[in-house]
Amino acid sequence: MAEGVAVYLRLAAAAVRANAGQPVVLAVRTVAAGMIVAVEVTAVVLLLDRFGTIGGWRVPEVVLLFGLAFASQGLALTLGNRLEADNLSLLVRRGTFDQVLTRPVSPLGWLVASYVDARYLGRLLAGVGAVAWAADRAGVAWSAGTVALVALAVVCAAAVVFAVLLIAAAFTFVSVQGSEAGNMLIYGGTYLASYPMQIYGSALRLVFVWLVPVALAIYVPALVVLGRQGPPGVPAWLAWLTAPVSAAFLAVGGLAWRGGVRRYVGAGS
Amino acid sequence: MIEAVGLRKRFRTRRGPVEAVAGIDFRVRAGEFVGYAGPNGAGKSTTVKMMSGILLPSDGRVVVDGLVPYRQRKRLARRIGVVFGQRSQLWWDLPLRESYELVGHLYRIPPGDRAARLGRLVEVLGLGPLLAVPVRSLSLGQRMRAELAAAVLPGPRVLFLDEPTIGLDVEAKAAVRDFLRELNRAEGTTVILTTHDLDDIALLCSRLMIIDHGRLIYDGTVEGLRAAHGTTRVLVVDLVEDDKVQVEGATVARAEGRRRWLEFARDEVSAAELVARVLAGHEVADLTLEVPDIEDIVRRIYRGEASP
Repeated sequence: MAEGVAVYLRLAAAAVRANAGQPVVLAVRTVAAGMIVAVEVTAVVLLLDRFGTIGGWRVPEVVLLFGLAFASQGLALTLGNRLEADNLSLLVRRGTFDQVLTRPVSPLGWLVASYVDARYLGRLLAGVGAVAWAADRAGVAWSAGTVALVALAVVCAAAVVFAVLLIAAAFTFVSVQGSEAGNMLIYGGTYLASYPMQIYGSALRLVFVWLVPVALAIYVPALVVLGRQGPPGVPAWLAWLTAPVSAAFLAVGGLAWRGGVRRYVGAGS
Repeated sequence: MIEAVGLRKRFRTRRGPVEAVAGIDFRVRAGEFVGYAGPNGAGKSTTVKMMSGILLPSDGRVVVDGLVPYRQRKRLARRIGVVFGQRSQLWWDLPLRESYELVGHLYRIPPGDRAARLGRLVEVLGLGPLLAVPVRSLSLGQRMRAELAAAVLPGPRVLFLDEPTIGLDVEAKAAVRDFLRELNRAEGTTVILTTHDLDDIALLCSRLMIIDHGRLIYDGTVEGLRAAHGTTRVLVVDLVEDDKVQVEGATVARAEGRRRWLEFARDEVSAAELVARVLAGHEVADLTLEVPDIEDIVRRIYRGEASP
């Protein structure tokens, strides 16, 4: 087992070294990825400043949600960027995926490790920065508990986004042409989760808390960190469920991926 | 080493189901060097993909070194090498040396064995000056030698090669062929070579399988193919004066200026007899005898002019 993990770590290290071959390029891309987050957050701050609050949430509180969403997206894409529809369909059409199947490793492990992209860490770090800035402004009292909750939110939301990537990848295997549906959920879902849930209708709330639990992973822990009450149907005690629900959704993603690969090799649909 | 029984693969396409491999049977013994030829879309790659665990057969079965590909994909992957001529399996942005280190870890080759084996491969394939060069900077010929070393480093029992000489110059082709011949001889590696280059087959393979429309249409030695289909020869005649040529036992296949191409069957008339007949009726400036090469024969089989 440990030996198995070591192989993937070596592959990931090789991917990082390959990128580091052009350190200036890597640095520029990483900084640019972080800048995008900074610009978007600034835009939100300027916009919300005109209104003061949104759904009863003050600007720094909303920025906290944005930070969590960007951080989790960055973490998921650092590992799973090659699963995005366009990237994966290219690997399939070029025959690269065929070659992966001739290696004595797990194809998913290979794709994650071989394409680890430090660029997305820029998004993760900028997201964490936004959380720190917002928490300070919102008067969050830092404790081991709140830090753990923030970390839990980022990791769980990243797991949900990664699961969506896996499901999207399964669709790519079936259609070969990449589908935009996955991107809609990854970017649309995390964007939706960047705003307080009460501004949405109950149907949308239901979808993103329970069906694709990205809001559950971001919004509910944020409620606890900020000491707020959620809207009807989304009580703060749901934070306890974040980890198990995210893990379950990740398992669903894993099953979808397996089904996609089976379909690809022709082992039945 | 490889056994295929009633092997089939169907694909569902928008235009309905397509049978890429339509039921083929063959057995490859350990140490054989098999050429696998056929026109584009004949089912070559699909067969290789089923043997290497990339695709699951729709029907029939295939066993490679005692394992069922795909079902035992990872175990099989440790025992086979796969080289796709047009795609690299090396780490593009890293110095070549690092690719071999990674292959060593992937295939769990003990470091001492890896160093010793790599040392030999580097020497035989002339890779020494390339080890520090990023793979993306290698020429096609250099890269192909590097790919072969990577595929062979784990000591595979079976090597699948897909167009390993495509796009290479004469010298690079010779280097690749020499290496493969020696690998097959010295290590007894079973080699399945998919190629359009029939020189590869003529120079390397003890056995030739030809697939067309998903079916095996020839399975035998290269000499056997020549004996079965290479019975037609051509006598090229340069006449002194433009003239109508009519000789018993031969047909004029082509005429250009004063040159005539006379096709004749080996078992009907001997070359000597035909030359005598031509000389009896015409004044001739020059004569050449052409024996069809394997490429002509295979081309004719593809076109359906010769039934296998």
